[in-house]
Amino acid sequence: MSFLLRRLGFYLLAFWASITLNFLLPRLMPGDPVTRMLSRSQQRLEPQQVEALRTMMGVDGGPIIPEYFAYLGRILTGDFGMSISRFPTPVSEVIASQLPWTLLLGLTSLIIAVILGNLLGILAAWRRGGFLDSVAPPLLVFIGSFPYFWLAMGALYIFGINMGVAPMSHAFSVGLVPGFNLVFILDVAAHLILPALTIVLVSLGGWMLGMRNTMIATNSEDYILMAEAKGLRPHRIMLNYAARNAMLPSVTSMGMSIGFIVGGALLTEVVFAYPGVGYQLLGAVQGLDYPLMQGMFLTITAAVLIANFLVDLVYVRLDPRVRKG
Amino acid sequence: MIIKYLRSAHLAVAATAVVGTLALSGCVASNPGGTEGGNGSASAAFLTIPREDMGTFSRNFNPFSPNAAPMTGQSIYESMLVYNPAGGDTVPWLATDWKVGKDGKSLTFNLRENVKFSDGTPLTSKDVKLSVELQKKLLGGYDYVQSIKTPDESTVEFTFKKAFTPALYELGQQVIVPAHIWSKFKKPGNEENPKPVGTGPYTEVANFQAQSFELGKNPNYWQADKQKLGGIRMLAFAGNDGANLAAISGDVDWTQTYMPDIQSTYVAKDPEHRHFWFPTTGAEINWQLNTTKKDFSDVRVRKALSMAVDREQVTKVGMSGYAKPADCTGLSGNYDKWRDAAVVEKCDWTKRDVEGAKKLLDEAGYKENAKGQRTTPSGKAFTFDISVGSSSTDWLSVANIIAQNLQDVGIKATVDSPDWASVTAGYETGEFDTGIVWTANAPTPYQYYLNLMGSQNVKPVGKQTFDNYHRFSDKKADELLSKFVSTSDEGEQKQVVNDLQARYSELAPVVPLFAGPEWGAYTTEHFVGWPTEENPYATLSNRAPTTVLVLTSLEPAN
Amino acid sequence: MSQNDTNPQTAVAEDPTDESAVNRARVNTTRLLRTLLRNGKAVAGLSIILVFIILALLAPLLFPGDPSHITSDGASTPSLQHLLGTTTKGQDVLGLTLWGARSSLFVGFAAGIFSTIVGVLVGLSGAYFGRGLDEVLSLVTNVFLLVPGLPLLVILAAFMPPGIGTVIVVLVITGWAGSARVMRSQAMSIRGKDYVAAALVSGERPLRIMVREILPNMASVVMTTLLGCIIGSIGAQAGLEFLGLGDVNTISWGTNLFWATSDGSLMLGQWWIFVPSGLAIALVAFALALCNYAVDEITNPRLRRPKHATKSTAATTVARKEEK
Repeated sequence: MSFLLRRLGFYLLAFWASITLNFLLPRLMPGDPVTRMLSRSQQRLEPQQVEALRTMMGVDGGPIIPEYFAYLGRILTGDFGMSISRFPTPVSEVIASQLPWTLLLGLTSLIIAVILGNLLGILAAWRRGGFLDSVAPPLLVFIGSFPYFWLAMGALYIFGINMGVAPMSHAFSVGLVPGFNLVFILDVAAHLILPALTIVLVSLGGWMLGMRNTMIATNSEDYILMAEAKGLRPHRIMLNYAARNAMLPSVTSMGMSIGFIVGGALLTEVVFAYPGVGYQLLGAVQGLDYPLMQGMFLTITAAVLIANFLVDLVYVRLDPRVRKG
Repeated sequence: MIIKYLRSAHLAVAATAVVGTLALSGCVASNPGGTEGGNGSASAAFLTIPREDMGTFSRNFNPFSPNAAPMTGQSIYESMLVYNPAGGDTVPWLATDWKVGKDGKSLTFNLRENVKFSDGTPLTSKDVKLSVELQKKLLGGYDYVQSIKTPDESTVEFTFKKAFTPALYELGQQVIVPAHIWSKFKKPGNEENPKPVGTGPYTEVANFQAQSFELGKNPNYWQADKQKLGGIRMLAFAGNDGANLAAISGDVDWTQTYMPDIQSTYVAKDPEHRHFWFPTTGAEINWQLNTTKKDFSDVRVRKALSMAVDREQVTKVGMSGYAKPADCTGLSGNYDKWRDAAVVEKCDWTKRDVEGAKKLLDEAGYKENAKGQRTTPSGKAFTFDISVGSSSTDWLSVANIIAQNLQDVGIKATVDSPDWASVTAGYETGEFDTGIVWTANAPTPYQYYLNLMGSQNVKPVGKQTFDNYHRFSDKKADELLSKFVSTSDEGEQKQVVNDLQARYSELAPVVPLFAGPEWGAYTTEHFVGWPTEENPYATLSNRAPTTVLVLTSLEPAN
Repeated sequence: MSQNDTNPQTAVAEDPTDESAVNRARVNTTRLLRTLLRNGKAVAGLSIILVFIILALLAPLLFPGDPSHITSDGASTPSLQHLLGTTTKGQDVLGLTLWGARSSLFVGFAAGIFSTIVGVLVGLSGAYFGRGLDEVLSLVTNVFLLVPGLPLLVILAAFMPPGIGTVIVVLVITGWAGSARVMRSQAMSIRGKDYVAAALVSGERPLRIMVREILPNMASVVMTTLLGCIIGSIGAQAGLEFLGLGDVNTISWGTNLFWATSDGSLMLGQWWIFVPSGLAIALVAFALALCNYAVDEITNPRLRRPKHATKSTAATTVARKEEK
């Protein structure tokens, strides 16, 4: 229990430090949002027009300290203000419209990669020197060594343009009205194929290797030998005894990864036009859209911390040794 | 417990695989080209257009917001007239005619009868008045407007503080919003306007998603016979590549993005239906030299630098052959009817002429040293930066080509390419050497020459200005410019612009590079009636005032 | 043994422990290196990297002049004159790839090495000094781990003038936290060992303990982290440049891919422009991963691949020949 409390306390502190950093860093950047926005679209406005825009969006510039405390206060009430680059859409609306897709893509890819990777790792460790153990790790690591965007564009080219096999862009077919019916769900799944496939391919090697190495270490433990001596079936030993213990590092890694899913897969969204949060984040940073940046950083930080805390909770259940600590 | 976990994991993987296969087999057939969407018959087909700069859409249809959703000012709201740069004509729209006062200080519009907003309310002069006032309050501008009178429901009278003939186009192309709705907003600038009410052809927002949205017909449109589309469907992409890919696959009807080698990438896939037209009516792109720096204040240096640039290579390699090299008037194709042939004929400083450049530089005191490098009269090596934003890859190539060209006359130029925001910040405060800059593209050349040679927007180095970054002014040009705005006689205006062009060619305030093309490509697979080179009733831009002309001219292909 | 000990005073006091510690550390490192060179994977990985380094160094000789010189020739398929074809701007693809190796390898290695050094310093100090300093350093590390990488990269890149130095600094700032955490946990476990306690008791200075006792015994972890950091830096640099956030004027694998996409090479089917730089990045990353594998196998003999398939509970094969 005290372990959990200590972790909680640490998380709150890290949270506060992060949001302070999130507040300060963008404001240290040179320039102001309005001129950035105008130069991006190469619009020409009169000086008074620029001033008027500044007033309208509330970026007149003022002292930082009161703004910081106002910012902290607004966080507590959940008011994230209006986005500058999408003025006057509220930040919460901007994030809410994109976050579900990011989560869908990220979680699907992560779960598939983790399950598949761990399975492959377990199997590879079980038959050392076998086909799976010799071929799969180098192959998967090689595939994972390619820059992600390279793989994504290659997949798009091969499967999308040339073979016309899978949808090439967006989260679902345009014109389809979203709803909880089979047609829509299947359509969404179809559009997930290419983006998720590329993400899974790139990350598979890491999960497989990690699991394999931990399994090998676990396999040398005495209790495995004991289980074999007792005459338990190999399958049962592999899953119930070895994998169960080897899973722990995977759980921690998975926790960290879940948190960062919320930051969106920028390159995936750019290549596959997936309407998620990642591309917006980049746009917000480049456009000095303070409210949107702060809102997103907050979401990411909160998600990572919550995910980590949940992992700690699960870990305590899985590994009794930690409870003593 | 673990077995159960892993078993269900097995199942999950299997399930995903099955779903994937099912979807795969079903997906290709059910992936509509965008036109036979969930909505029924072919006659109700939607015009599908990609948007590559937003990533996702936000439900913001406020025409006074600089970030409104696409088609807000083109399909939902309309203006009193439309100026067509491709044909040079002005089309009366919500106003049937207008009159300029004798002294140029007043302008009266007569509004069209029987125009209704999409909620059934008739359009009156009060709407025009409120729209102009809101624009002025929220976004500034219209400083020259002294008063707005509405003597009756279909007449609007503007009086100006001083004669200003370009006001016709500024006021004429102002979007008109309904006063009965907008006068009730406490903070009109902060309104998202999710269910907009306008006079345009397609105003009913439907099926709004982050990745796409639709606009349905305006039930009370004043040109019901010209509403032949089922509606408009906008698709969001996160960059040119995505949008271009959609165009190539035939998922969209009308695109306005830069596509490399469009003939083989796009047209060749379906030559019967696919066409493109890039009239050079976009803004002129200039290489601006910061004239507050001693080296660039000498007109001989400016002209020599201009002669060193190989515009053929710039347009062929840097702009994929889509742009047209500039001439000594510095005017883009937008102003073809103002162009003075005499100035063009006497032109001597916009064609590549390495020897001529070298001679001019020697004459100005910039001689080559022993190593073949140019030095300034004070003896230092003549080097400088060329600034350009890193996201404009075509202009980046242009800057690289220019730097390469300059090596031939012994000048070492370095291309400096941070983010556009930093580049523009440098332009605004005058802290740059040289840079690639876009220009204004108004209906008359007034704003163009004002920003190149007029003293109105010149600010000293360190003070922020939003125009005339190169800080050049000329008294004679000022005189000519004020003469232009004070006269409404077309003949006089043309003479003034001729003089302006001659002055420009004499002074070379900037190095003109090329006339920017207006990108536009389309397919006649689903819709016909597009503007073409033979029939330039509008440009192929889907973000310009002329877009509404296209929307009301298209009809389904049979 | 005591030859490298230039301080006569401490030599007398430390002699008994010093000799064994240094000896041990030295033997460890040499043993590591020798086994490394015997391992097939390591040899494969190191040779691939060596080939790239040599090619990168030879680039000015093989392709003199400016490989990014723009001509009006346009793109062309691979031919005898241009082994990998040319780009839309008429540039030789092979030349761009070889010249690109210089920047990509330099930035990757530099950023990776500096990230590791910072990570080692922070992790080690935290583990050694414990208590207050450890709490603070852990907090800083975790905050850096929480800040989303890409926005931090963009923000930092906005401050500084574009150039290779900026990219390296930016990559180090965003990359050190991961290695610091790993270093810290490893150092913590070593700190508890007897010989460290012995060194403490005999009054060695903290820096000496960290460098002489703890660090050499973490050699394999440091090596793995270093290789991981280098891989990460190369990948991050490529990603940054692909988005146009790096220095677009340098020639590197990432900028080659950036230009390839903005010129629409894939859409035009000009695969020869798009493939080489991506393949190069993959090969170098893979080679480094092989080295990582090898280090893992050496330090954990159980990971060594048996000659033929065996059951997981079979006895582990360890090298039969003992070191001399």
